[in-house]
Amino acid sequence: MHALKMKIDSVGYGEKTVLTGIELSVARGEICGFIGPNGSGKSTLLKAILDIGVNVTGSVYLNGILSSEMTDRQRARIVSYLPQNFNPSSELTVMETVLLGRHPYHRGWEPDSPEDIEIALACMRETEVSDLRERIFSELSGGEKKLVLLASALAQEPDLLLLDEPGSSLDFKHQLHLWTLLRRLSDRGISILVSTHEVAVGGKYLDSVLVIADGGCRAQGKPEEVFVPEILNEVFDVNLNITRDSVTGSWIILPGDTV
Amino acid sequence: MKTEGVRKPRIDFWALMFCLIIIISIISIFSGPISNPEWWVLLKLRMPRVVLALLSGSALAVSGCILQSILRNDLATPYTLGISAGAGLVAGVVIISGLMVPAIVLISAGTAGAMVAVACVYAISVFSRHGRSASAILLAGVTMNLIGAALLLMFEYFSSASRLIEIVRWMMGDLSVIGWSKPLFLLPAVLAGILVAGFRTGILNQIAQGEDIAASRGVAVKREINILLVAAALLAGASVGVIGPVGFVGLIVPHIMRRYTGSDYRYLLPASAIGGMILVLFADLVSRLVISPAELPIGIVMSLLGGPFFLFLLIKRN
Repeated sequence: MHALKMKIDSVGYGEKTVLTGIELSVARGEICGFIGPNGSGKSTLLKAILDIGVNVTGSVYLNGILSSEMTDRQRARIVSYLPQNFNPSSELTVMETVLLGRHPYHRGWEPDSPEDIEIALACMRETEVSDLRERIFSELSGGEKKLVLLASALAQEPDLLLLDEPGSSLDFKHQLHLWTLLRRLSDRGISILVSTHEVAVGGKYLDSVLVIADGGCRAQGKPEEVFVPEILNEVFDVNLNITRDSVTGSWIILPGDTV
Repeated sequence: MKTEGVRKPRIDFWALMFCLIIIISIISIFSGPISNPEWWVLLKLRMPRVVLALLSGSALAVSGCILQSILRNDLATPYTLGISAGAGLVAGVVIISGLMVPAIVLISAGTAGAMVAVACVYAISVFSRHGRSASAILLAGVTMNLIGAALLLMFEYFSSASRLIEIVRWMMGDLSVIGWSKPLFLLPAVLAGILVAGFRTGILNQIAQGEDIAASRGVAVKREINILLVAAALLAGASVGVIGPVGFVGLIVPHIMRRYTGSDYRYLLPASAIGGMILVLFADLVSRLVISPAELPIGIVMSLLGGPFFLFLLIKRN
């Protein structure tokens, strides 16, 4: 069974259509990357899967169930989301922030259960933010905030994780930690959709790639099928030197001149 | 410790707050000049006055708490949404018109004015270029406040001296009551507003994180924000209608309480309700005693007591 199977006819904001005709299936434990130029609609596609803040026509199946027939709560127990836009000046502690990921399991006024605390602690260990737990969220660095919000997304115990440019404010070490963490999570059966500009760093960890450009899907497949000059040069409007290190499997992608 | 990083207030915090309310209430009921028959003064003047202070204090503080979450701005208050301008304008016009209306009509008019102002601010923000965003609501609210204040000034300019004094006096706030009609008018509005918000403290937490995150966790963001805005307007509008546009309970109480309970609305909201009760109760007590047997308007006392205390906390924090 697929964690996600979707066929999106069109998605956009108000009258404006951003993307048309996207079909995608993501298996259990698969990591799928969305790549494409700025403003191509990677974030919009993630929002379309959650059906938040966009006009979307088409069908989305989560764990084989039609998403539009689920309640918001049911959906939130299957999918969690790390957006680019969040409130950076929240005055909650890191621990409290991570505990908020338990919301889909609460109703009305309810205190945190011992189980919630255990799960939050485990998720903080996972993203290596345990040491920060008493710090105030607004006082963290941009990269730390992302890792804390990732921990709170994990506290939702999702089967499918949607990440919108999670590595964008991380240094080399944390980027590498992030990608190996995503690999670990996928080995445990969590499916991951990640929009990213770190084509080279992430390439090694992706099972499949969806290239978005010009209002639709430009290419789709395994990284070695997609990371070829014929596709990427045209999409990014740059002449790229693409090679793959045969020992480590890492991608080396360097921009040359503009086309 | 497993719960390091969770700043849930301890039981003795709540106990202390409840003791403060009871002690100040009792002092308030039994202090001040007394005339015959004694039971009438206590039962028909003092007790309803204390109840009115408790209701309006909690309503204004909770209203501020709600708005600080949904606008993600610690400076948001019930007044940011034009509530005082709306209530003040309508009540001012009623006073200027010279119609001898019963108090309950004036109260209802003020409440209705506040609700209409919030509805206008909301409608403007929906149709604004930015769409219904926190910044659009804030901008529309601040502007509505200025327009309302200017209109009220214009009415005042063209009205007679005696009417003018009446309006100015109303704007300073007044908790005095004869009988139970004012607290009984306020009770259902406050109960409804606080219950609606009380069951949504988890949602307030999520919305404060950002609307995308809240939506992804199963919060119907648009609907919940509308419900919460109505609750905030009802709480503040009814209070302002009854006691006048009193000071900044809605701003400083949630701020002060954040220091003791943290920013988790499950604890901040009830703590603010209780803190609001204590502040209004205490300010009213001082306003009655400081130049006894005459009274200072509570609006003046509240700002003079609360303002410096708030500034002291600001400086101490840094």
